[in-house]
Amino acid sequence: MKIEEERPPIDPEWLRDFEASLRRSLRDRLDYSFIHTYKPVLDDAPYRTFETMEEYRRWCRENLPAWLGYG
Amino acid sequence: MADRAFSYRQGELIAEEFRRHGVEYLFIGKSGAIFHGFPDTTQDADLFPEKSPENGRRIAAALRHLGFPVDARLESDLVAGKDFVQLRTGPFDLDLVFAPDGIETYGEARSRALMIDGRFPVASLDDIIRSKRATNRAKDRETLPRLEAFAAYLRSRPSGRDPSPQEPGQRP
Repeated sequence: MKIEEERPPIDPEWLRDFEASLRRSLRDRLDYSFIHTYKPVLDDAPYRTFETMEEYRRWCRENLPAWLGYG
Repeated sequence: MADRAFSYRQGELIAEEFRRHGVEYLFIGKSGAIFHGFPDTTQDADLFPEKSPENGRRIAAALRHLGFPVDARLESDLVAGKDFVQLRTGPFDLDLVFAPDGIETYGEARSRALMIDGRFPVASLDDIIRSKRATNRAKDRETLPRLEAFAAYLRSRPSGRDPSPQEPGQRP
């Protein structure tokens, strides 16, 4: 299924961002797009594994601060 | 504290080790969208590996070579086929999403994926959007309008995607 929908014109500011991004090399895009910050709870265990995505989503809802946006 | 932000070099290391160990995987999520040229920021890299015992064993071996401490329980979970594995110790943060929302099978996603820069297998932008729509978290809802506009922008270009010579649109 292709995602093709009627869309309004692209916001001119977004368009400038998109064009500028494609002028940058992949190396620059990757080196400047990832920002590591400490995320409470989420970063407090060496690793976690979840049997199902539903289990993971439930864990996020019940354990992570809402402002992290995982709810 | 060392900088744990993901970088191009770390992407190269993943690509090299996963290729050497024969791991089947795709970059996905916002990190995958950034490979396509989407201008945004994110915190960690998301990988969509094929879920199979053999691929799980290969992932465990590749992760060890990358410097991730993979203990017996983690390896057992990778082989057993958990849907989601979140790694927070190692050279950088990594999420392994074996069953991303909105995508039926790894094989279907792989058939639509692109090999970017000749070495990075990345889920199609349509699959990344489809997955974010299905996941529907607050952070996905915030990203989607701009990501969908970016996909429309790429489609409006003559080549349909970034035509830069270092990024041939080969299939993985």
